[in-house]
Amino acid sequence: MTTYIIQRLFIFFPMLLAISFLVYGGLELSPGDAVSHMISPELALSITAEQLEAMREAYGLNKSFLTRYWIWLTSMVQGDMGYSMAGGVAISEIMAKTVPATLELSLVALFFSTIIGCSLGVLSALKRGSATDNSLTVAGMAGVSIPEFFFGLVAILLFAIELQWLPVGGRLLPSYETVWDRIPNIVLPSLVLALMMTAGAMRYARSSMLDVLAREFITTARSKGMPEWRVNLLHGFRVALTPVVVLIGFRLPLLIGGSTIIEQVYQWPGIGNMFIRSVRGSDYPLVMTISLMYVFVVLTASLIIDVLTALIDPRVRLGKE
Amino acid sequence: MANSSLNRKFDQIKKREEEKTFSTNKRSRIVNKFLNNRLAVIGLIIFTIIVLASIFAPILSPYDPMRVDLRSMRQPPSFDHWFGTDSTGRDVFARVLYGGRVSIFIGLGSAILSAVVGIAVGCYAGYKGGWIDVIALRVSEIFMSFPQIILVLLLVSITGQSLFNLMAIFIVTGWGGMYRLARARMLSLREEEYVQALRSFGLSTFTICYKHMLPNALSPIMVNITLSTAMFILTEAGLSFLGLGVPLNIPTWGNILNVAQDILILQNYWWMWGPVGIVISVFVLCVNFIGDGLRDSTDPSQQG
Repeated sequence: MTTYIIQRLFIFFPMLLAISFLVYGGLELSPGDAVSHMISPELALSITAEQLEAMREAYGLNKSFLTRYWIWLTSMVQGDMGYSMAGGVAISEIMAKTVPATLELSLVALFFSTIIGCSLGVLSALKRGSATDNSLTVAGMAGVSIPEFFFGLVAILLFAIELQWLPVGGRLLPSYETVWDRIPNIVLPSLVLALMMTAGAMRYARSSMLDVLAREFITTARSKGMPEWRVNLLHGFRVALTPVVVLIGFRLPLLIGGSTIIEQVYQWPGIGNMFIRSVRGSDYPLVMTISLMYVFVVLTASLIIDVLTALIDPRVRLGKE
Repeated sequence: MANSSLNRKFDQIKKREEEKTFSTNKRSRIVNKFLNNRLAVIGLIIFTIIVLASIFAPILSPYDPMRVDLRSMRQPPSFDHWFGTDSTGRDVFARVLYGGRVSIFIGLGSAILSAVVGIAVGCYAGYKGGWIDVIALRVSEIFMSFPQIILVLLLVSITGQSLFNLMAIFIVTGWGGMYRLARARMLSLREEEYVQALRSFGLSTFTICYKHMLPNALSPIMVNITLSTAMFILTEAGLSFLGLGVPLNIPTWGNILNVAQDILILQNYWWMWGPVGIVISVFVLCVNFIGDGLRDSTDPSQQG
């Protein structure tokens, strides 16, 4: 087992390093350098070539590409993420503010989508082939076909503007004191985000449940004369949902990526919102750091999944090479 | 004994071949199965209608989607303007039709091109193995380490916005999935006896993998192309909604929806964003129905 984990780590770190290099190099290729983004058009007219050069010198931009990458990498490893070009705020500060907001939103959405998805999936497996099953399948496909931001807009129009039950967007207001004050703000974005995930969870739960229902211990339970609801709930449900829940838990990275547009629609001050703002403003240091953070999350999650699967199923680590 | 029963079998096959019930049998089974899937047929019909409506946009709508008409700003739907007009008096119905051209082109085009790249690499790498396979696998893993939307946004920030860039980005982000699919199919087909037979005849690698093996991997690939068309159309819509996709002067479904970011428009002028949102949803749903129908009708494990 230890060898397997070490093997995986030997893939993990070079991968992260290679991606950071590619992203750094890619942003290097984009037109203009940091200095040209700092100078306003009015200033550009009055500034001399020497002054420009001096600025480049001051920011270390005239060093070679590899040197700069090395400086950036070493300070990154030490926890210094550098500064955003918009306003010169430390990136670590921005991250500390936005990451919890995104996590909060994603976890709530994950919670909703798991509960709704699993119960609907099990229901549709139990009533296989019925009208309920068919309409749930169609509804699931509709769930992945409607653009989530369009769904979000309709939800805003309906529940925030027309009915005025919930706020239009945002996360915190100065007047908020308790947790209860914040709940109305998270309901809409998390439910809309959950919709995106529910369809997937439903499909997994359905096929897993169908799988279990065909097993022999279910037949045994039935032949003992156990009532049908006990067979389904105690025997089928419990066995079927374990793999589903494990799998859904690790779809968190997907959810964090998927929340990007929803955060924009609801003006949720999360990492996705910040990422879009930095892409719009060509704030390259921020774009780079945030995208690498996403990569880190995805790679870590897949590492954990691999290790867990190997723990559960010995064939994975033994059969490998 | 065994010999005579074998002879009998061959006789039967020969008889069926002579009656011509043999060669058309497989195709008709797939088509029949697809046609029996009600949702897939409905999907195909609506899909065709929307595609044709976009192609024949000039016939269906007398308006120019780009022409600003300040005398007819923000008009609700009427007989003249079926979906009303937007803030600069452009006819929304015409914009939805012309926008469909671009959006469908981007979706379908990127899906097909990324499939071509993914298959070209995947077939060869999966069949040959070796260092090409190792490199291609690692490269595809790099692309798959990003959440899809984040990678697209990152590449948009590197390359800048244009229609061409967007399609290139979609291909770059999309080929990996197809590559893995093609590669996995090739890995299992590689061990089949007919492939070994072809190799022993001395056929070239290219002929074996693209001419003889690829057709056997085609049905999951077709399904995948359909599903990724749906995904690309949704991604384009999302990006353009954010103002980071296709430049705003080109009408696409996402660009039309872009105005809904303004809460005043969201509240007061539903026709500027509602119909187009429904068109996108219906179109993508139809594409997904078609994909699902294709999977059901071509997947041998589901054939009775």
